[in-house]
This record gives sequence, C-alpha cells and structure tokens, in this order.
Amino acid sequence: MTLSAVAVDAGELPLGGGLLTLLRPALLRVAPGGLVAVLSRDRAARDDLQRWCQVEHHGFLGSEVVDDRGTQRHLIERGRLGVPRPEREAGLPLALQEDGHLLAATVLDQAPFPEHADPHTGFAPRGAQVEPGGPPYPVSLLDRAHVAPPDVARLYDQAVAAQWDASRDIAWSRITRLPDALEWSVGQLMTFLAENELSALYVPSKFIPRLHPHFAEVGMFLATQVADEARHIDVFLKRARVAGGSLGVSSVTTSHSLLSLLQIEDFTEAEFMLSVLGEGTFIDLLRFVERHAPDEPTFELVRRARADEARHVHFGLSHVRHALAHDAGLYGRLEQSVRRRAATMSAVGGVPTPIQDALVVLAAGGDAPDRISRGHEAFRELLHEMHDNRMHRLEHAGFSAEQARTLSELHTPNFM
Amino acid sequence: MSDAILLGAVAYDAKVVPIWEGIREHFQSEGVPMDFVLFSNYERQLELLLRGHIDIAWNTPLAHVRCKAATEGQSLSLGMRDSDRDFHAKIIVRKDAGITALAGLAGKRLAVGSRDSTQARILPLHFLREAGIDLRAVALVPFDTDVGKHGDTGTSELHVLDALRSGAVHAGAVGDLIWVLEQAAGRINPSELEVLWTTPGFDHCMFDALPTLAPDKVAAFQRALFAMRWENPTHRRLLELEGLKQWMPPREEGYASLVAALTAPDLL
Repeated sequence: MTLSAVAVDAGELPLGGGLLTLLRPALLRVAPGGLVAVLSRDRAARDDLQRWCQVEHHGFLGSEVVDDRGTQRHLIERGRLGVPRPEREAGLPLALQEDGHLLAATVLDQAPFPEHADPHTGFAPRGAQVEPGGPPYPVSLLDRAHVAPPDVARLYDQAVAAQWDASRDIAWSRITRLPDALEWSVGQLMTFLAENELSALYVPSKFIPRLHPHFAEVGMFLATQVADEARHIDVFLKRARVAGGSLGVSSVTTSHSLLSLLQIEDFTEAEFMLSVLGEGTFIDLLRFVERHAPDEPTFELVRRARADEARHVHFGLSHVRHALAHDAGLYGRLEQSVRRRAATMSAVGGVPTPIQDALVVLAAGGDAPDRISRGHEAFRELLHEMHDNRMHRLEHAGFSAEQARTLSELHTPNFM
Repeated sequence: MSDAILLGAVAYDAKVVPIWEGIREHFQSEGVPMDFVLFSNYERQLELLLRGHIDIAWNTPLAHVRCKAATEGQSLSLGMRDSDRDFHAKIIVRKDAGITALAGLAGKRLAVGSRDSTQARILPLHFLREAGIDLRAVALVPFDTDVGKHGDTGTSELHVLDALRSGAVHAGAVGDLIWVLEQAAGRINPSELEVLWTTPGFDHCMFDALPTLAPDKVAAFQRALFAMRWENPTHRRLLELEGLKQWMPPREEGYASLVAALTAPDLL
C-alpha cells in the first residue's frame, strides 16, 4: 500500500548518522510525487538534505522552524525517477495449515503469478518493488498460460514433503544375489531405468534458467523433479550392483530416443513428451517391475520411484491442460512434434531387445522354459496397458479421444 | 568520418572509456555521428579545443571559465549534468577542535584539495576570504593529487576527509557532493566530524564549443544528448557512470564566483 504523505522524526540525527536511515524507507512508502516531512534538530540537515535530494532526484520543497527548540520541518517530494513497481503489496498475514505448516501454495494464493512477466525485473522476487531501468534478463518463458499451471505450488509442497533417502530408506542388507538369469534381468532393467532417469534430469534442468523468476514456483517444482531423478539414478544403479551384479546393455534405440527428447526446445512440448508421454509410460513400466519384483527392497525402491514419477506426470498433465486451454494452436504443434519423433524412431527399431528379454525373464521369475511363456504374456499385457493408460492420460490432459488415440499410437515404442 | 562531431574528454578514470563508447553508440542510434578523444589533462584539452582540433570539450568549471576567457565570452555552452548545478563547498571540522565559527580557523590546520580543484580548494578559499577570513593566519594543508584533472577524481577530497578522521588537521574543505555521498554511504562518523560552514552555490562541468562550430552540429549534439533517459536501461548505465540522472541546458550565472576567484591575485 502506498501513502500520500509520511512524517519522520529524525531528532538530532545528522544525514549520514541516521537521518537517511529513517528517510529512505519513508520515501519508499509514498507514491512518486508524495510528500515526506522530516522533523530534525540537526543544523546541517537543511543543506545536506537539499544536496542529497538533488543527487537522488527528489524534490526539496523547503524548511520551516516549527518550535522554539529549533526543530525544523523539511518537506521532501518523492522523485519520479527511480519509481519502484509494482505497487507495494497489501501485506496480509499468511494463513497457516491446521498443523501449523505454511505452504508455498498459500503464498501463491496471496501473491499470484502475473499473466505476463517482464525480463527487466531480473531476479527480483514476484511482489518486490522493482526500480525501473534494470537490464533485461535472458529469460524466454514469460507467459503464465505456457509456463505456470495453477497447482504448481501445491505439487511443490507435496514434492518437498515426499523426499526420501536412497542410502537410508531402502533395506539394502536384505538383498541377496539372485539366480543368474534374474540377476541379469534386474541389472539390465536398472541400467535402462537409470539411463531414462538421466534424460529426465537433463531435460527439465535446461528449462529452469529460461523461466522468468516471477514463475519461481515452477522452477522450484522442477528443482524437486531434478532432485527426484538424481535419487532414482542413484537407487537404480545401487540396486544393479548391490549383490555383485553388473550393469546391462545401453541400446542405440534408447540413445536415439532420449536424444530426441533432449533436443526439444519448447518447454510445453518438452513437458508433454517427457512427463505426459514418457514418464506416464515409465510409470506403467515401474508398476510392472514392482509387480514382479524379486525381493521386498526392490519392490520398495521401485514403488517409491513410481510415487515420485506420478507427481512429475501430474505436473506435466496440469501444464499441458493449462496450455491447451489457452492456446488453440497447441494441439497441432504437439501432434506434429510426436509425428516428427515417431518418424525418426521408426528408423531405429522397436523396444530394445535386451529390455524386452529382461522384462520377460523378470515376469517369469527366471529362465525356466515352462515359465517363460507366462513372462511373454505379461510383457504383451504391459504393452496394451501402456497404450490404454496413455490414452487416459491424454484425454485427461484435454485431448479428444481421437487425438489421444493418434498420439498414443505414434508414441515411440521405446516407452520413454 | 569528417562529418562526425569530435568530442574531447579527460580520462580521469578507467570508466571514462565505457562512458564515451556508450554515449557514442547512443549518438549513432540517434543518427548523430560522433567520436571522442581522451586527454590526460584539461589544459591540453582546452588548448586543442581553442586550436579547433576538437569540436566540443567536456570541461570542468575551471576549464569552462578559462575557455570563456580565451574566447572573450564567445564560446558556446551546450549542456551540463543535473548534478553540476548548485554545487557548494563545505568546511568540515573535527568536533574536538573547538572551532565554532569561521574566525576560529585562525591558527588551526585546514586541509584543502588539489590546487586546480574548484570545490575543494579554489572556491572554498575564495569564499572564506570574501567572508573576511585572513587566510595567512590559517595553516593550509594541501593535498595536490591528480593535478591536471581539476579535482575530477575526488582523491584530494578523500585525502582531506582522511586527514580529518586521523586528527592530522582541525578542519578541511570538500565539495558537498563528496560530503553527502560519503554520509549516505555511512562512512562519516557524526560524533567526530561536523559541518562548520557551507559556501554559496556554484556550478560545475559544461560542454564547451567554439563559436565557429556549425549550427547543425550544435543542434544535433544537443538533440542526441538530451534524448538520454534514466528509464532506458542502456542510457541509465551510462548516466550512472557519469554521475547524473538528467542532462540539463547550460547556464552561466553559476560560474561568476569562479571568475572572481581567478581574477583575484595569489590564490593559486
């Protein structure tokens, strides 16, 4: 809230000995052109204030003696240069949760995202009074509709509360070496999972510095996503090696697929490809590994990773839904992007065979011939489940049933 | 290149290069070709202005008054900074020196700045003499640093303040800009130092040109100069470096005291 006039009693304080410490904040409380009256008994204050006002471009309107103790009242008009914007915040207290917690979502409610952000405000937090004339920052994500879904702060709150520790929270001591075929299968799957999670760490990272800082909650959420991916890479590679196993094969198909994700330069498109299609399908894959996990700690670590991934998918869905609602041309661009990627991927083959084999062996619980066919069946079911769930997610994101079918069928057979 | 306005400035600090590079770029964008020459001192700059080697000189008050004198008042004044108007000099005293009036300076040590500094030497001494102080009775402690730069670097004023803080002198003369800026930055201890006296006002720097400068160049120079805006981030960086918020039209009355001081004998 800005005021039209403020009075400051500076007593005997000289300009550099405290008077300015009282005057400068008082000037920030009035609008440009507003008045600050300074009461002072320092005899040098008049000259010093006059010169200081000139240097700072405030108007010095004059002085008068107001009592018989020699107190002078100096009248200063706040200058029109160096005007902070926007207006000062209302300063209402933030509502706490019943348990006393203070959520980022509550702060966002009180200090909402702007529709459009100005690169000249730099790293000034949203709501700060920004002096004009600052340099433009090299940020390109400036529009709320394409950047900041309304529930991002709530997702950030959930993410922060759900952090876990890949060293401490998994019962590593209860993992023993599996029969060779199963041990190989686990090593191969963990290699694939970690490889995909590395891409999921890189892709959101590159968009954080492009976000306008007024959408900080988006960057904060992406930071939790990056931290989640770091933990997943850690936990998957530990699982592969903990009982003396080793990593499996990284296929060219996977490498091509993940590179095409990394090369997407549009934030909404990248969120759609990575979080809605990629991580959405990844969740189905994790659920499959969870269902067929050879031991309880493996089940647990995959379950935890899946819970994190669900949050990323939620953010991606929310982002795309929000953007689709504000941008009629978006569906066309996303479909084009999926088609482009499918065209590239068709040249490099389907699900990498080491992954297919590892999933079958895992579901079969080993390589006994009589069980392998059951494993094959489970794998085929997984592919159907992935397609069905993709359709659901796409419809949830705001696509029509037909659009959803088209996109899902085009989606890379490499899962991500 | 021959159409370009050639401007002279004194390189009193490394920042002078980016200031004029930036202003040159601004002038280009306004369609006013301009280039600059940097001098190491104001005497050389004035000499080459008078010889017609440069079109415009960014002059200190001392160089401006000398330029006026050398052209018998015919030189053109083109513009100044907002901060060049209404300068004052301050006589600062140590609180423990027991000086309560100007007459109390007699027999005391008074630090002053460089002999070519308008604000820290020439005018405070001139105004003290006009106020009836016999300077022969005051022990002047001069700090002649950066002579030729006419006090631009401010180093001699900072030496004056240091001498006051250390107790080496009882009183000192500085410009009010340094005095206010040092206070605003929290570097003055108010229990140690206070203002004894403020001189009458005077003006500071000025863009000077010979009366023979083509009128279209004068107009183009002023148009581009006054088009600089504090609200423009590119301009603002330059204005901050040069120490102003706004370029102002010229005025001459602020130099009368300096003219008087320079015609008085034995001051320099």
